[in-house]
Amino acid sequence: MRALVIEDETAVAKDLAQALGGAGFVVDVAGEGEDAWYKGSVEDYDVAVLDLGLPRIDGLSVLKRWRDGQRTFPVLILSARNDWTEKVAGIEAGADDYLGKPFEMGELIARVRGLVRRAAGRASSTIEVGDLLLDTHRMSATYSGRPIRLSQLEFRFLDYLAHQSGRAVSAGELAEHLYGADEPGDSNAIEALVVRLRRKMSPQVIETRRGFGYLLAGGHQV
Amino acid sequence: MPRSLRVRLLLGAAIAIFLALAAAWVAMTLLFERHVERRIEADLVRDGLQLAAALSIAANGAPALEREPGDARFFEPASGLYWQVSTQKGSLSSRSLWDQRLPDPKEVSSLDWYHSIVNGPFEQRVVLVARLIRPERAGSDVLVQLAHEQKSLHEAREEFGEELAAFLAMLWLILSIAAWVQVELGLRPLRHVRNEVDLLKRNPRERIAAAHVAEIEPLTNAINELAEARERDLGRARRRAADLAHGLKTPLAALSAQSRRAREAGATEAADGLDHAIAAATSAIEGELARSRAAAIRAAPSGDTTVALPLLESLVGVVEKTEFGAKLVFEVNVPDQLRVPVATEDLLEIAGALIENAARYARRRVRITGEATGAGCLIIEDDGPGIDSEKVSHALARGARLDEAGSGHGLGLAIANDLVDATRGQMTLVRSELAGLKVTIAWPAGQNVQDAVR
Repeated sequence: MRALVIEDETAVAKDLAQALGGAGFVVDVAGEGEDAWYKGSVEDYDVAVLDLGLPRIDGLSVLKRWRDGQRTFPVLILSARNDWTEKVAGIEAGADDYLGKPFEMGELIARVRGLVRRAAGRASSTIEVGDLLLDTHRMSATYSGRPIRLSQLEFRFLDYLAHQSGRAVSAGELAEHLYGADEPGDSNAIEALVVRLRRKMSPQVIETRRGFGYLLAGGHQV
Repeated sequence: MPRSLRVRLLLGAAIAIFLALAAAWVAMTLLFERHVERRIEADLVRDGLQLAAALSIAANGAPALEREPGDARFFEPASGLYWQVSTQKGSLSSRSLWDQRLPDPKEVSSLDWYHSIVNGPFEQRVVLVARLIRPERAGSDVLVQLAHEQKSLHEAREEFGEELAAFLAMLWLILSIAAWVQVELGLRPLRHVRNEVDLLKRNPRERIAAAHVAEIEPLTNAINELAEARERDLGRARRRAADLAHGLKTPLAALSAQSRRAREAGATEAADGLDHAIAAATSAIEGELARSRAAAIRAAPSGDTTVALPLLESLVGVVEKTEFGAKLVFEVNVPDQLRVPVATEDLLEIAGALIENAARYARRRVRITGEATGAGCLIIEDDGPGIDSEKVSHALARGARLDEAGSGHGLGLAIANDLVDATRGQMTLVRSELAGLKVTIAWPAGQNVQDAVR
């Protein structure tokens, strides 16, 4: 596992490198934006921890340049400002998670591991059901060619339905899949999720079969 | 000196006009008096010439008249109009003079009529004309004198003065009204500027429109420059607060690295102490940042409005990435065009804190509802455990609780409450029908929105 740490404060950079090293990563460190952009563009990393307040090129611009250059490795943003304007800007620039300074090293390691696991678990494949195209690697979707931003939960919901080859799936089964068997089912939450997905894409994307459950449009078994 | 420019100008104009008219009154009355006096003298000279034409010298050397002047007043005693001709041998006078005599003139010549105002008969002040006439070439000189009492002259002057004063008073009133109109017209651009400065006070992004008149232009330019400087200062203050946070947080992160190393080296107690101090410093910084942001909004409300839906979706996008947000369904029931009277960055902080807080405690669902009641209303609910009613006021206490609340329910709610309050909104907490907490933030109608529209 290779991780890139971009942090201009030497003490923090050293600590991050040490902690990530201890967690089994091979760590490269960049102290300013230009170096970070170069390293991220030419090397293959499994994850990057990116401080936003950097000399030369700021962190947000580095991230945008990576994403424009089709670098898709997960990025965890670190920031001292910790305000929502910056969080929104960071996520919209293509970050995968966000942590404010100062942070608990344990939490940072857990989040970095989470990002790597999510990215690594995805086979690089796409599933097409009707007008819906799911990219299981990037956990993203397009509907009628229009890119749709999905939360993890929404993606898992669509992914599960897409793998049912047109079978209607009950709210209870979906809740069990999404929340685990030991958690009590909540059909209201599933209903809310369906409403939200319909609003994001189209009212027709998910069909309701009364008494049976939900299925994706265009996935009917003949 | 009155503080009002209008009163000063009006008072100045009224006094100046009054003084000018008073001087005009005095001058015109004097001129009138002189004119009347000259008319009287001219009449006296005319009568004197009639006397001279009828004058002769008797054998005894006394003057003699072929006929007396015909004016009736010469025959009525003490009528005010008198004549008298005299030589060293004797004299003749009008019946009106009765037993009195006209005073001898101080100087008299045969060349022209002598004029003066003297004390005359019957204790009257009189206008006197006198001349030496020689009726016969070889004869002696005859002193011809005519007099007219001055009282009627004074009466005419007083009458004229009174009438003139009434007319001038009316003129003074008209000119003062004209001055008032002029002052009002002159000050109108200043009133425009004042109104625009009032707007500027409410919204620091407002600027005064290009000068209405050339004389005001330097003033409006100066005000606009001042406004720009103020806006820059505000921005700088905000950036400085953010820089301060950055400046403090990075060393805190470094300190936290030290603490971890200390813990690894077995100094658990020292590490605990450090961690405690770091946590306290962090929440103090967050609290101070929130407070300075709220203070900046209070000092200079932006007057901006923000379309809520895209911003809320962006925030949901961020929270969905977090560990607790990833498991949740976010229902966003907000009308497309719903606007709330808060600047974008402030709404981001308010709604961000509330949505994150709701996500932290929710089990499955977070519901965000928008309503167009008042100037806008947002409701954020979760299906978590909720908050005890006695803790509600504690959670909302502005300022005081920010530092102590830690990073739990309290901090996010207190920060949001402080900001909502600063934007003149109101935040209420009740139990949601989803079982958890229901936070309602509402802005009453008719405040910032109107400012923004103007």
